[in-house]
Amino acid sequence: MDDDEHAHTLVDRARDGDDEAARELIRQLYPMVAKIVRGYRPRRAAEEDLTQMIFIKVFQNLAQYSGKVPISHWVSRIAVNTCRNQLMAEKARPELRHADLSEEQAAMLENLAASDEALSPDRKLAARDLVEKLLAMLKPVERLVIDMLYLQERSVAEIQKVTGWTAAAIKIRAFRARQKLRRQIGGLL
Amino acid sequence: MKNRDEILDRLFRAAIAPVPPKEMPFGFDTRVLALVRASSPNGSAIIALFAQRAAMIALAVIALASVGVYRASTSNDDLPAEYAMADNAIQSSLGE
Repeated sequence: MDDDEHAHTLVDRARDGDDEAARELIRQLYPMVAKIVRGYRPRRAAEEDLTQMIFIKVFQNLAQYSGKVPISHWVSRIAVNTCRNQLMAEKARPELRHADLSEEQAAMLENLAASDEALSPDRKLAARDLVEKLLAMLKPVERLVIDMLYLQERSVAEIQKVTGWTAAAIKIRAFRARQKLRRQIGGLL
Repeated sequence: MKNRDEILDRLFRAAIAPVPPKEMPFGFDTRVLALVRASSPNGSAIIALFAQRAAMIALAVIALASVGVYRASTSNDDLPAEYAMADNAIQSSLGE
């Protein structure tokens, strides 16, 4: 029995009130949902609260799942929409200034600007922290697009499957996000 | 100095790190299922919903019946002349 077929069996059993099947479904889908929630980098709402909210919606609407698409796609779209609605009111942080960077981050950025040398492992940690700070300047949906495209290295087609957005919408969001990040980088150098 | 796009791409590449799959917190599944059950409509709510719908249907039937009765009562006043003549003839034949 392949994964999809197994998932469909679990969905059918969960619909009929089988708790064990519902638990198995949650266990299978949890890593994917947690990854989506983490990609949004929620500030006010805790990651776990958001994940819980998503699973509650999934089970409340399980009767509407037609089975035409894999359950993981259906759940991922609920996850994306829930995060989006929940974080809509979240404002992007104000501009990042050079003074906000640690010594390591400033040195690493100068290194990136001046040479082609690969970053040493200790500088990679500083790079991750700086990326987090930069992503905080973006809107939640832009954060998700940048996270999926560049940090998870997913293709536009894969992001389409997960989010249900059109390729054009993904590209426009990525373009706008990169524009903002370019401006930020310019201000830091 | 490199252009900003290039810096950004190198920064992203440097920031990529294999993120271990997040472990499901203990009791998460139990909590979710309990919350789903608590939020789903219970027996009395279903009965209340049914009663509400039944009341609305009953009101619609009453309204339709009232309209029907009203129309029937108004149309009785202008019976065609043949009916009136027939009625008269029956009355007089009964009188004899």
